[in-house]
Amino acid sequence: MDSQKIKLELENISQSYIVDNKVTDAVIDISFSVKDSEFLVILGPGRCGKTVLLNMIAGLEKPVSGRILLNGEEIKGSDRRIGMVFQKLALMPWKTVMGNVEFGLKIQGKDKKTRQEISQKFINLVGLQGFEKSYPHQLSGGMKQRVGIARAYASSPEILLMDEPFGQLDAQTRYAMQNEILRIWETEKRTIIFVTNNIEEALYLADRIILLSKFPAHVKEIYEINLPRPRDTMDPEFLKLRKIISENTDLAL
Amino acid sequence: MNKPVIVQSEAERRAKNIRRAYAILPVISLSLLTALWFYASSSKGSNFPSPLDIWNRYLLFLEKPIRGLSLLGHIWASLKRVFIALGVAWLIGISFGILIGWNKKANALFGPIFTAIRSVPPLAWVPLVTMWFGTGEFPQILIVFIGAIMPVVVNTQVGISNVYQIYLNVGKIFNASPKQVLFEIAIPSALDAIFAGLRTSTSAGWMVVLAAEMLGGKSGVGFLITRGMDSGDYALCLLSMICIGLVGAFLAIATITLERIICPWTVKKSS
Amino acid sequence: MSEYKVEVKNLTKYFGTLHVLDDISFKVKKGEFVCIVGPTGCGKTTLLNLLTRIYMPSKGDLLIDGESAHPKKHNLAFVFQEPSAIPWKTVEKNLSYGLEIKKLPKEVIRERVEKIIELMGLQEFRNAYPHQLSVSTEQRIIIGRAFAMNPDLLLMDEPYGQMDIKLRFYLEDEVIRLWKELGNTVLFITHNIEEAVYLAERIIILTNKPTTIKEDLKVDLPRPRDITDPEFIKIRQYVTEQIKWW
Repeated sequence: MDSQKIKLELENISQSYIVDNKVTDAVIDISFSVKDSEFLVILGPGRCGKTVLLNMIAGLEKPVSGRILLNGEEIKGSDRRIGMVFQKLALMPWKTVMGNVEFGLKIQGKDKKTRQEISQKFINLVGLQGFEKSYPHQLSGGMKQRVGIARAYASSPEILLMDEPFGQLDAQTRYAMQNEILRIWETEKRTIIFVTNNIEEALYLADRIILLSKFPAHVKEIYEINLPRPRDTMDPEFLKLRKIISENTDLAL
Repeated sequence: MNKPVIVQSEAERRAKNIRRAYAILPVISLSLLTALWFYASSSKGSNFPSPLDIWNRYLLFLEKPIRGLSLLGHIWASLKRVFIALGVAWLIGISFGILIGWNKKANALFGPIFTAIRSVPPLAWVPLVTMWFGTGEFPQILIVFIGAIMPVVVNTQVGISNVYQIYLNVGKIFNASPKQVLFEIAIPSALDAIFAGLRTSTSAGWMVVLAAEMLGGKSGVGFLITRGMDSGDYALCLLSMICIGLVGAFLAIATITLERIICPWTVKKSS
Repeated sequence: MSEYKVEVKNLTKYFGTLHVLDDISFKVKKGEFVCIVGPTGCGKTTLLNLLTRIYMPSKGDLLIDGESAHPKKHNLAFVFQEPSAIPWKTVEKNLSYGLEIKKLPKEVIRERVEKIIELMGLQEFRNAYPHQLSVSTEQRIIIGRAFAMNPDLLLMDEPYGQMDIKLRFYLEDEVIRLWKELGNTVLFITHNIEEAVYLAERIIILTNKPTTIKEDLKVDLPRPRDITDPEFIKIRQYVTEQIKWW
């Protein structure tokens, strides 16, 4: 857990788009490294480009410049060792919970028995035992996200990307899910890169926080969070850190 | 406490009663229509059959079959043609729709031709079809097939080519092959569009079969209408029209039910 | 004539045999800012639907100035979670919409809209259309529109939903500024306890179903409020204790 081994490295990653015949920068020269098994949070104001950054790591978009290295080797495009949990509506409505969770394994060609065994393990891990045969439309928002997490875990990725997974949940369910994800992470340690726009959430979860500027995104600062877990959002230390980070964050109207 | 007590305010009770009243409206409109019908048919010099005439014609039909078939027999003759045509149309239509929806080359190759052909109404094909295949079962089924396949292809193509990007992203994350994306993601996500096409094709097929029969059939409900027209038997015409309406409604309900069974996730939550 | 602008009296709602709301009563003075918080799933949507008259209560009622609340008689304004700007009207037209519906004289409308635009700093957006704006700006327009109507009761249901925290605080400050300037009676419903403590003069804490009022708490902190202030934290901790299920 104190391993200093670097799992993922971003070197000078930039992204830009052509909009109305003009070149628009979305992400500017971002470099940072991610340690093995750490819980890294990327924090940025609304629409700053953090999803673009995550998409590039996931291989859904190609950066215009820069390299991404996994375990020291450059990766191009989507890599099976990197899994992702999306913000909303990414569960396939025509599949049951079990069908969704085992999706990655099915793509890999694993036989039914193995798929179901592995999937069941993660369905239990996220606390959804008994709901294997339910359809997404029968589940609450928090439950849907748990299915997404189980699905990402099931194909045994080395890194888990999470794109504002709790963004659509109300403030209280969000607290519950934050505790859940920490519990899951403690039980099945993986490297997690978690994107959010919520400073309190970032401080509650992270080992380190990478603070991005407003659009176009560049790295403003990197914070090491040494508070012991479980953290108390109303603890004076916590609130002090929150204020510091808040003052450093850009306002994006 | 045996029966649970239901608490309701005055306002709620009023709202509930208003909703109940709505259920009576169709009965009222139906009764008004029937009354109007009786009036229209009983006015002087009117050829228009009254509801009583229709009923009598129905009874007469039970005794004397037309062309060797009872009323049900004719209905079944029409339905049989529709079912055969639909079966083939659905199979070919869905496959073709997937092809041009998924494969850009196929779409470029076949798309424009299909759009042009699609604009020709099924009945315009009657002369050609009659010339090639004469008058008989096959040409009639062929016309229905032409009418039914168009909406299936169009809707399937739209459904396949409009899969939500986020589902495709999920496929990409898991490194799915294009074939896996097609069968595991694109086709299931397109099912509600495909079913919309199937529903349209069913009602289109039913309407076309009647027209095809009117133009040269020897059995079927459409044929009955032509028969009635030729012999001035307007009661027969109207009786057939009523049957057509009922069967059409039944087919529509059947297709919707089929969709509910196959695609339980498309059940829309109301409220 | 009571000093209370809004009175919720014994509000009870059943859906068939399902008992959702149970005997909810509270009074709101003119110009008061009240927050309503409750645990997730506490029937706040039902309460909201009763207050906006989408449903009728099974028992009890909502009174404004002593009479049963009616959208035609009274001036009720709502702000919901999703922005509801009219897409084919400019910002300025959107702001004046509610007033035009009430058929107020043109001069009055213009004056009020100008005031809102000035208070919220929306000058540069006057002639923009909603789809050209960010979600947060669109929501600000909706709130501006609601305040412009000078309503008897302004109901807000988690208007800042998923916006990032910095933006949230900015918008919350803006709402307080509008409220202080214009003096409307506001009911602000939220799941976010910190937000409630930040905004409210009074917090009404709801229970789980069948939902009733657990506590009616006064929040007497000076503005602008400081989330790191020990007093603030104390109140926040207390309310959290009352609701916490996670």
